[in-house]
Amino acid sequence: MAERPFSGVDPVALFGSALALVGATTLPFVEFRTSRIGIATYHGIGAAAPVGYAFLAAVLACVAVAVLVPPRTRGAWLKGVGGVALVALGWALGVAASHLLAGASSISRVSTGGGAWVALIGIAVVEFAGSQALPSRRARLAIDAAIAVALAAALVLGGAEQLSLAREYAARADEFWPEVARHLELAGAGVGFGVLLGVPLGVLAWRSSSARRVVLGVVGVIQTIPSLALIGLLIAPLAALRVASPLLANFGLSGIGTTPAVIALTLYALLPVVRGTYVGLAEVDPGAIEAGRGMGMSPTRLLLRVEMPLALPLLVDGIRTATVLDIGIASVMFFAGAGGLGVFIFEGVGQVAPDLTLLGALPVIVLALIADALLRALRDASVSPGLRGEQA
Amino acid sequence: MIQLEQLTKRYDDRLAVDHLSLEVPDGRVCVLIGPSGCGKTTTLRMINRLVEPTGGRILIDGRDTASLPAEELRRSLGYAIQSVGLFPHLTVAENVATVPRLLRWDKQRIRQRVREMLALVGLEPDDYEASYPRQLSGGEAQRVGVARALAADPPVLLMDEPFGAVDPLTRGRLQGEFARIQRELRKTVVFVTHDVDEAIRLADLIAIMRDGRLVQYDTPERVLDHPADGFVHDFVGVDRALKRLGRVRVADVMRTDVPHAATPDAAAALARGEGGAGYAYLVDNDGRLLGWVDARMVREGWPCEEAVTRVRVAEASVGVDATLKEALSRMLGFGFRAIPVVDAADVLLGEVGLNAVEAATEAGSRASELRERPSDEASR
Repeated sequence: MAERPFSGVDPVALFGSALALVGATTLPFVEFRTSRIGIATYHGIGAAAPVGYAFLAAVLACVAVAVLVPPRTRGAWLKGVGGVALVALGWALGVAASHLLAGASSISRVSTGGGAWVALIGIAVVEFAGSQALPSRRARLAIDAAIAVALAAALVLGGAEQLSLAREYAARADEFWPEVARHLELAGAGVGFGVLLGVPLGVLAWRSSSARRVVLGVVGVIQTIPSLALIGLLIAPLAALRVASPLLANFGLSGIGTTPAVIALTLYALLPVVRGTYVGLAEVDPGAIEAGRGMGMSPTRLLLRVEMPLALPLLVDGIRTATVLDIGIASVMFFAGAGGLGVFIFEGVGQVAPDLTLLGALPVIVLALIADALLRALRDASVSPGLRGEQA
Repeated sequence: MIQLEQLTKRYDDRLAVDHLSLEVPDGRVCVLIGPSGCGKTTTLRMINRLVEPTGGRILIDGRDTASLPAEELRRSLGYAIQSVGLFPHLTVAENVATVPRLLRWDKQRIRQRVREMLALVGLEPDDYEASYPRQLSGGEAQRVGVARALAADPPVLLMDEPFGAVDPLTRGRLQGEFARIQRELRKTVVFVTHDVDEAIRLADLIAIMRDGRLVQYDTPERVLDHPADGFVHDFVGVDRALKRLGRVRVADVMRTDVPHAATPDAAAALARGEGGAGYAYLVDNDGRLLGWVDARMVREGWPCEEAVTRVRVAEASVGVDATLKEALSRMLGFGFRAIPVVDAADVLLGEVGLNAVEAATEAGSRASELRERPSDEASR
C-alpha cells in the first residue's frame, strides 16, 4: 500500500517533541543557588552531560518516529521512545545536580529549570499522542508501568535526591504523607457529602420544573464565589453556632478548621453532581419513561430501575468532575486552618521557596489525575452492556 | 367490555376530549382515529389514567377504573406505544418480563412466559432473549414492545400507533401478524392510529374523532359505505373500493389448487399439460417457492431449466396474513394477473388473482349494504 510522503505524520507527537527539543535547548535546564533562597544562576542542558545529550537524542528519535513510522505501529513506538526520553530526562536532572553540587557548600541547592519543565510537558504530549494511537489498553498499561519503573530507577540511581525538591521533601517527610492523607480526607468528605446532597437535588430539579430553576441557579451561583471568600463567609455563622450550641461544639463544629473546609468543598462539589444527575435524567428516552409508567411502575421503582441506571454514566461523570475540582480546591483549605497539601504550597510562597511550593502542588496534580482515571474506569464499569457503543 | 361514559378532559379552557361515550365489546378491536389533536391519544391515556379525566368515567368489566390505584390498574392493561420505549439497559427478556416482575411472578414462570411471548411475535427466543434493544431493527423493537405489552396476559390492550415508526413494508407485515395474534388471543383492544388503511384493516369498530368529539362509531364497512357526515367522507377518502380490499385477508380468498412441482421438467409438463393454466410454480423439496415456468417459453423451445423464472420470494409473492389490497398492489406493480401466496417460511400455499379482487369488491359492497349497524347505543 503506497502512502503519500508525510501523509502519516502525527502532528501532536511532532509538536510535543519539538516543544521538548526547543525547551531543553533554549531555556535553563537547572538553576543553581548558593542557598535555599539565594540568587539563581542558570545552567543549560550541558550541565547534565553526557546524559543530557542522550535525552536530546531520544527527543530527536521522537521526531523521527512521528514523521517516519507508519500510523499502524506508531503508537507503541511513540510511547516507547517517549518513555526512553522521559527516563533520560529524570537521569539527566540527577546528573546535573551531582555536577553542580560537587565541591559546593552543603546549603547550595539545584532546582529544576524552566527548560526541564517544558521538556517534561513536551514528552507528556508525545506519550499522550502515543496512547491515542495505541488501541490496546493492555499494551498501554504495560508500557506505562515499564516507564514508571525505569523512571524511578533513573531518579534514584542518577542522584535526583540531591535536587532541591527532594531536599524539601526530606526536610518535611514526617509531615508530607499525613498532609496527603488529610488532603484526600477533605476532598473525599466534600465529594461524599456533595453526592449525598447533590443527587437528591438533581432528582428534585428534574421532577419539578419550579424547583429546577432555584436548584440549578443556586448551585451555579455558589460555584462563582471564590473559595477564600466562601471560607470567610462561613467563619462567622459557624463560630456563632458553636457558641450557641455546646452540643455541636462537642461534635467538633467550629468556625475554623475542618468544619468550614468540608462545608465549602461540599458546596463546590454540588454543581457538577447536581448537573450530572439532572442532565443524566433529562437525557433518558421519554418513551422508556412513558412505557414504564404505562405498565404500572411506581415513581420510586421507575427512578431506581429505569431512570437512575440510564442516568448513571453522566452522574458518575459529574462525580468525577467534582472530585478533580475538590482535590484542587482542598489546597486552599489551608487558609481555613484545615491543613492538606496547601500547607506546603503556601508556606513555599511565603518563604519564596519555589521547590517547597512544588512539593505541595505536584502531588495535587498527581492525585487529581489518579482520581480522574479511577472514576473514568468506574463509569465505564457502571454502564450496562446495552448502552455501550459496540454491538455484541 | 370497556365503557367510556361522558369522558371529558379539559386543559385550561380547551376541551381535548368532549363528553365522549363509547363501548368496546370483549374481544374486539376498537380503533380511535382522527386528525392530529382530535383527542384520540388523550382518550387512550385516560383509560390507563396516565391522564386523569376532568369529567365522566371509565368502566372496565363494569368496574370504575378510578376505584383502583392507578399503578394496579395499569398492570392489568397491556400498553404499547409508537416510540416503543424499550429500556435500553435491559435485555429483551428483561424488558418483556417487566409487568410479570411487577406482579411478582416466580422466576421460572416469567422465563417461560417471556419465551412464549417472543415466539408469539415471531422472534426466536434463543436468538433474542439476551439481545439489547440497540441491537434490534425497528420492526424487531416493535415486536418486542407488543410482546412486553402482552406478557402478563392482560385482558385489555392499549396501543398508541404501535406500528407508526417503521417502514411501510414492515408495517404491513406487523399489522398482518397483529391480526393473527388477535384472532388467537381475542383481547379487547383500543388502538390509536392516524392511518385510515391501518384502521380499516385491523378494526372491528372504528371511532372517528374530531375536536375531542366522537363523529362516527361503526364497523369499517359502515364507515366506508355510510360516512356519518362530510368530514368522515373526506377523511376516509374517495378510494373506498380499494380500501375495502384492506378488509379481506388473502388467506380467505386464495386458490389452493395451484399447479406446482419440484423439478423444472415436471413443472414444464404441468404448465403445458391438457387443461393446464399455461404456467406452473416451481418449489423445492420442502414446498418453498422458487419461481415459475411459463408454458409459452417451453413451447418456443427453451430448455426447461431456462424457462424457469426464478424470483425473490419476498417481493414476488404475498404472505398469508396480507390483505387483498396488498396483493393487488403487488400484482399491479409486477404486471401479474395472479400472485403466489406463501407462509412465513416461503412455503407455497396458493395464489390470488384479479378475479378474486373483483369478487371481493362486489361481495364486499353487497354485504355492507345488508349489514346492520352494530349497535345504536354504541355509536351514539
